[in-house]
Amino acid sequence: MNKAKKAEKKTKTAISFHMKCAKTANGLTHFVMYGDVPKKKMPL
Amino acid sequence: MKNNNRGLSFSNIDTDWKLTLDPENIFWSLLPRNNGDFMLPDDLISLYKKEREHLDTEMHNFRFNEPLNCVYIDPTDRCNANCPYCYIPSKIRKHGTQMTWEQLDTALSKIADHFKSAKKKPVIVFHAAEPLLVKDILFGAIKKYHKKMLFGIQTNALLLEKEDVDFIKKYRVGIGISLDASTAEVNNLSRVSRKGEGNFKKAVQALDWFEGYEGLNVICTVNKYNVDKLSDLVTFLHSKKVPMVLLNPVRLTQKRSEQVKPGDKVYAENLIKAVDTAMALTKKTKRQIVIGNFANVILAIISPTARRMMCDISPCGGGRTFLTVTADGSMVPCGEFIGMKEFSGGNIFRTSIDKAMNSKPFKQIRERMVEKIEECNTCDFRHICGSPCPAEMYARGNINKKAVFCDFYKEIIVHAFRMIAEDNVKYLLRDDSMDQMVMEYQY
Repeated sequence: MNKAKKAEKKTKTAISFHMKCAKTANGLTHFVMYGDVPKKKMPL
Repeated sequence: MKNNNRGLSFSNIDTDWKLTLDPENIFWSLLPRNNGDFMLPDDLISLYKKEREHLDTEMHNFRFNEPLNCVYIDPTDRCNANCPYCYIPSKIRKHGTQMTWEQLDTALSKIADHFKSAKKKPVIVFHAAEPLLVKDILFGAIKKYHKKMLFGIQTNALLLEKEDVDFIKKYRVGIGISLDASTAEVNNLSRVSRKGEGNFKKAVQALDWFEGYEGLNVICTVNKYNVDKLSDLVTFLHSKKVPMVLLNPVRLTQKRSEQVKPGDKVYAENLIKAVDTAMALTKKTKRQIVIGNFANVILAIISPTARRMMCDISPCGGGRTFLTVTADGSMVPCGEFIGMKEFSGGNIFRTSIDKAMNSKPFKQIRERMVEKIEECNTCDFRHICGSPCPAEMYARGNINKKAVFCDFYKEIIVHAFRMIAEDNVKYLLRDDSMDQMVMEYQY
């Protein structure tokens, strides 16, 4: 799908979604402040 | 609390998008507007009806049934800095007590005992005043307990040495560096050291030493001096490979903080500008910098239970998912309550953590909810911002008053919905976050 069509779709479709964390609380690395520091290097 | 007037509300995000939202469980949908008109599709209503009960349960459990999972420990009440907005009373920071090794060891062994049958390791954060004043006992504790606990340290970096950085990396300790601006001139107006200078030089040296370490974050306290320079700070931190920055508002728990409070509107405008800068840098360089407090708002919408910062949920996490142990062993719901003796739930050297969690002051904080706050009880965004903070409002005379930065939150939440509509979520959360999340439904 080209960019123009994508943009058209974006402005014409209702959006709704809901996600659940597979790991909760301490396993989270969504934005580590403190807690489980990922061992894997973040992609640069 | 049962609310019989339940349903979807409608509000405008901008000229392109309308928001429909159930404020009780954060079922939301963004509806395209066409010359102001919009349509709510039947199958979206069906989706809402189908998911409503499940989302209600999820929100209820997140608000009331999450277990304690984090303990902040202030191993010293003293500080080598004198920031104008600090929530710890000045007298305590100058002459406060410090834990001995035996005391810290006792506290941690009690915490380990409390969590011995928990499925996950507790998070222990060494926090305010300045924990590195007792560096030796901190590092000794991390060595002894690192297999049972996850550790974090929040520091102004004034006492940080290169070998400390190696230690922190080796033990995968989360590290927060306090830095308010990208120039010494502005930073040192608010991050003032006792010697009269600021922490700029040491904090930047620390960022260089950490060199993009995954557990590194910077905490910036937004105040009247730096509020219009947040975007510059993001650019600077990105150049230093910092993966995460929190641009948190100054808390007004101490009266003197009022003097450095930024205005809501100017703060919102500049946070949005900083978010735009972070996204542009991420797109251009393929290396992320995430604005943690904005990411938390995004999560509050798309995955409310994945939130990690517990200030933005009602009741807040204080005395619920975390507590603070002060240098004299007192257990308070949150560090913001240091200096308010009436909020002590007991002393960790004499009282169990369970007893503190069930104490009257802890219950009082857990009972401070948006349902009891005028304006919040009818606000659509009440479970996205959570109306922080109880300590701040208690200090200002009425715990059941709305957030000081209410207007700021409203603007930021609307912007978060706009970012979702524009498909920018992937730039605003950490790269690896989506790997840990599963889609429960998608329209």
